Amino acid sequence: MADKRIGFIGAGQMAEALARGFINKGVCKAEHMWATDPVDERKEVFRSFGTNPVDGNIEVVTSSDVIFIAVKPQYVSVVLREVRPHLEDRHTIVSIAAGITLQSLKDAAGDGIRLVRVMPNTPCLVGETAAAMCLGGKADDSDAQLVQRLFDSVGKIYRVDEKLLSAVTGLSGSGPAYIFLMIEALADGGVRSGLPRDIANQLAAQTVLGSAKMVLQTGKHCGALKDMTCSPAGTTIAGIHELEKAGTRAAFMNAVYAATQRADELAKSG
Amino acid sequence: MGEALIRGFLRSKVSSPGRICVSVRDVERQDALERIGIGSIFGDATDGGSKEVAQFSSVILLCTKPQAMTEVLQSLAPHVTSEHLVISVAAGITLQTLESALGEGVRVVRVMPNTPALVQCGASAYALGKNVTARDADIVDLLLSSVGFCIAVEEKQLDAVTGLSGSGPAYVYLMIEAMADGGVMAGLPRETALALAAKTVAGAAQMVFGDDGGSNSSSALGMVHPGVLKDRVASPAGTTIAGLAELESSGVRGAFIRAVSRAAQRAKEIGS
Repeated sequence: MADKRIGFIGAGQMAEALARGFINKGVCKAEHMWATDPVDERKEVFRSFGTNPVDGNIEVVTSSDVIFIAVKPQYVSVVLREVRPHLEDRHTIVSIAAGITLQSLKDAAGDGIRLVRVMPNTPCLVGETAAAMCLGGKADDSDAQLVQRLFDSVGKIYRVDEKLLSAVTGLSGSGPAYIFLMIEALADGGVRSGLPRDIANQLAAQTVLGSAKMVLQTGKHCGALKDMTCSPAGTTIAGIHELEKAGTRAAFMNAVYAATQRADELAKSG
Repeated sequence: MGEALIRGFLRSKVSSPGRICVSVRDVERQDALERIGIGSIFGDATDGGSKEVAQFSSVILLCTKPQAMTEVLQSLAPHVTSEHLVISVAAGITLQTLESALGEGVRVVRVMPNTPALVQCGASAYALGKNVTARDADIVDLLLSSVGFCIAVEEKQLDAVTGLSGSGPAYVYLMIEAMADGGVMAGLPRETALALAAKTVAGAAQMVFGDDGGSNSSSALGMVHPGVLKDRVASPAGTTIAGLAELESSGVRGAFIRAVSRAAQRAKEIGS
């Protein structure tokens, strides 16, 4: 891992978050990173934290071993076709473009190339992504391990079959928005009950963060954790009752499912 | 809750096993505390335990169930002086109750913590009694900050805090489970769905705290409005807005508002 050079075609916010995460957690040195972007400002940002911004996609490819395709989905094919003649066995192409299938990556990059498709999510920007990956082309377990090691520095990544990526989109891809909605509503509840807005906001966000960490770190079932906090005739069970009356569970299931279906529609039409 | 706080204090090194003593009634609880390395474990508060704790400590945390508080306060009162700082985490037990039971000069603080203190990510609010000094307030802040976020509030706001951050974790567990169920419905294996759901919730909450990620700071500066974040990720005719439309049609916002309000109301009923 220490000797792998990483390249970014497209140096936007996601690419920056990934690059900074890799550097901060020591999985790659800044001087072993290359990046390109049509916008000069973005190249300057990448220069500012010690990487090597260059002017062309081809130069990124010839300088790197692992290449992140971080451009907008509509440009992925164009970019891969451009660099195709320069792709070698050592290269692993990692696409983070939503909705771009392994097949279309293969069509653009050619046969015999190591392809990895990743669906990250916005909290990648704060180093807390929930992501999934699938392999294509000539990619093997060593590529999976490499990508896993990289993404562990900015959150967590899980391997799935490509056909499940729509479900991942519906759950972790779109999921953050459902949580933003919930945090705002919890804060509203606090304000309704007499708290000043800023205190309600902080308590709401911290409660959501802490509870998620309880699930992640204790490994206990959500139902068991809920039971543990609901004392007889107490405040918590009264709150839970309101959520159950309103069919909140079904609403969240519906949200994930509807977003998944939309992802499927987009994949078909794209 | 008491155990969560102790574990949190030890993990963050704001205290050490040798400087903590506990009075517990249950033998099982005594064993559990021995296993964490707490050296001084005394028996039932009402059976001599209170005296021993008061002799050992300068800061006393009352973590008993609200219904046991009357007895515990009675047992503690003869042994507590104006040298002690007494911190109660018992829901619904007012500062007035504490001050009347323990004696007029005693310094008391009332805290509403929450269980994620166990993983150093708690959300607590506290109200100061009338004899409390600025130094006491600093001690409370130090202790509670070691296990997460804390903020000073007026006593009358503690019922709302109970409804929101005290009871809130249960609402979040419900939501995480439901999101994982949605993932399973969409075809993901349970383990993957749960891991993605929980991590997504953690990541999203972290984003609300903004770039500096300082969730343990009591400043609201740098926090990003959740509505702004939601707008940023909901692209036109995309997957996210499709999911959000379901939540809005089901009145999920109202459900959470009612959950917090009803729990706060229940806290008020219990306390009076």
